Amino acid sequence: MSVVFRLESPYRGEYQLHRLTFGAGDPVVSVVAGIHGNEVNGVYALNLVAGVLRMQPPRGTVHLLPCVNVFGAEAAQKRWPFDDRDLNEAFPGDPEGSPVQRVAAAVVEATAGAVGIDVQTGSATVHEVPHARMPEAGLAHDLGRAAGLPVTWARPAERLADGLVGAWHRRGQPALALRGGRGGALDLEEARVLARALVRVLGEVGVLTRTEPAAPGVVTTEVHDHRTTVGGFFVPELRPGDRVRAGQLLGTVRAPLGGTGLEEIVSGAAGVVLAVRVYPVVHARELVVRVATQP
Amino acid sequence: MISGSVAVTLDTLCEIELPTGEAVPVVRRRFGGGEGPRVVFVAGLGGDTPEGTRLLHVVGKFLASCAEELRGTVELYPCLNPLAAHLGVRAWPGLDVDLSRRFPGREDSHAPDRVAAAFVAAVEGAAQVVELRGAHPAFRLAPQARVRAERPLARERAELLNVRCVRLESGVLPGSLESCVPDLVVLQGGAGNRLTEGVSLELGDGLLNLLSHLGVLPEARLPFHWAAIQRPIVAGDDAFEDVRTDRGGLFLPAVGGWGEVQAGDLLGEVIEPISGEVREELRAPRDGRVLALREEPVVYPGNLAARLVCA
Repeated sequence: MSVVFRLESPYRGEYQLHRLTFGAGDPVVSVVAGIHGNEVNGVYALNLVAGVLRMQPPRGTVHLLPCVNVFGAEAAQKRWPFDDRDLNEAFPGDPEGSPVQRVAAAVVEATAGAVGIDVQTGSATVHEVPHARMPEAGLAHDLGRAAGLPVTWARPAERLADGLVGAWHRRGQPALALRGGRGGALDLEEARVLARALVRVLGEVGVLTRTEPAAPGVVTTEVHDHRTTVGGFFVPELRPGDRVRAGQLLGTVRAPLGGTGLEEIVSGAAGVVLAVRVYPVVHARELVVRVATQP
Repeated sequence: MISGSVAVTLDTLCEIELPTGEAVPVVRRRFGGGEGPRVVFVAGLGGDTPEGTRLLHVVGKFLASCAEELRGTVELYPCLNPLAAHLGVRAWPGLDVDLSRRFPGREDSHAPDRVAAAFVAAVEGAAQVVELRGAHPAFRLAPQARVRAERPLARERAELLNVRCVRLESGVLPGSLESCVPDLVVLQGGAGNRLTEGVSLELGDGLLNLLSHLGVLPEARLPFHWAAIQRPIVAGDDAFEDVRTDRGGLFLPAVGGWGEVQAGDLLGEVIEPISGEVREELRAPRDGRVLALREEPVVYPGNLAARLVCA
């Protein structure tokens, strides 16, 4: 393990960006997690992958950056806590800019290579099934499919232009995001699913030879967002990863004070539940269920 | 109706429906009417900028006293983000969304997107829109205006607003209000999440001067002579120097807001917080004036300590 970047801190010990490197030579694959401090599934998934790489030395180089926003993780916060900045909005960063811009620039520099993978979770209020988000074509697309996750979501390039993945794309480095779970909570099984997916991606790149086969998932470009029309208390009728048919009840919105039924949320299409709102108090027109359509 | 005059009204831009069934209105105050130009002043996109809201109260109180003499319409939006203002935080609570990055908004999305969409629709056709943006909580800012560099009309009007400086910005942030309203003038000044003595009066005079220039407010009704309006420094991005820390610690400023400095002058020190040892001296890179000064002392390497205008 090496420290690839340091930032002086007034009271606490300095910020250190840690990178674990396995193997040597080409191809170089970088996997990053914990850009949001409360997205801990990715941190655990990368540590599981580190265990695999210790047992099975790679043919090439794998860089793991398991927890970029250490200060946020310590404070159980998504953002960089001191000045309340979203580190993912600071990419591509600036080595002479603000603290988060300096960290972002260091991450970009430390992850140069053939492929970049950012492991993320949903927000603290939304639970997502493990899935891949990648471009509609090219190497990153193929790697997203090879991850073998329950849902594989191919998106137009402009929807992948932000954050670390966008910074990698802009410099011509194939990149994708693997996501699963929700902010602020560790789900051991989902972290294991993400770790196995990462191992499959490393296998597809040719860095690892032994990987586990995946169950067939949904590969889609179409995702249907279901929003409330009223505010209230959302009670879901299903879980992330469940298969649904068009017209199926996804959940109900009830009055928080008294429980009167206000609205039924019904699926607009058949598919797999990609995300479910888990914090139940919702405002009008908030996203409560996202369904990836079955092609 | 908030006064006995038919020329003053209070209405609702849109309502934010709460989970409990309650609704919080985003309100608009209208003064005047008729055939003249329509001018919009908006504050409170972030919930931590009460200076703008107070400024619109100052302006509203004056306009109410002469509403029937106005030759046009003035619309005041005192607080576009009332839920954040309720908590004194910048972002929309719960969603953690910065309303200043949601424009042009969406009618079929969550509340901040709908507020943004409703506002963009409401200001279409306005002769001028001015946003009172306040200051970041860590800083104290001299009264200043920012406009898009390629918009000469916005520049001309910003110069009327009784500010010390007009910045001609070459870039536009995606999702910002100025990305949808190209001739937007953004006013800043004072300290974030606080009220600053004098700023409302200074910028309030500027807003009234603008209304007079646009023909909405008769010059005879101005509570000051137009010659009292300051002539600002007008400069592009190259004239601004951001002085950042290279060390972490406590920043102790050595200059005052809008102070004049020469190249090499000490702007402040970064000290080690426990021993008090000086870790870094920050000096002015060029001659200029202090436009923004950090007031929140804890700094990391890379934090902005001061911004100078060097035109």
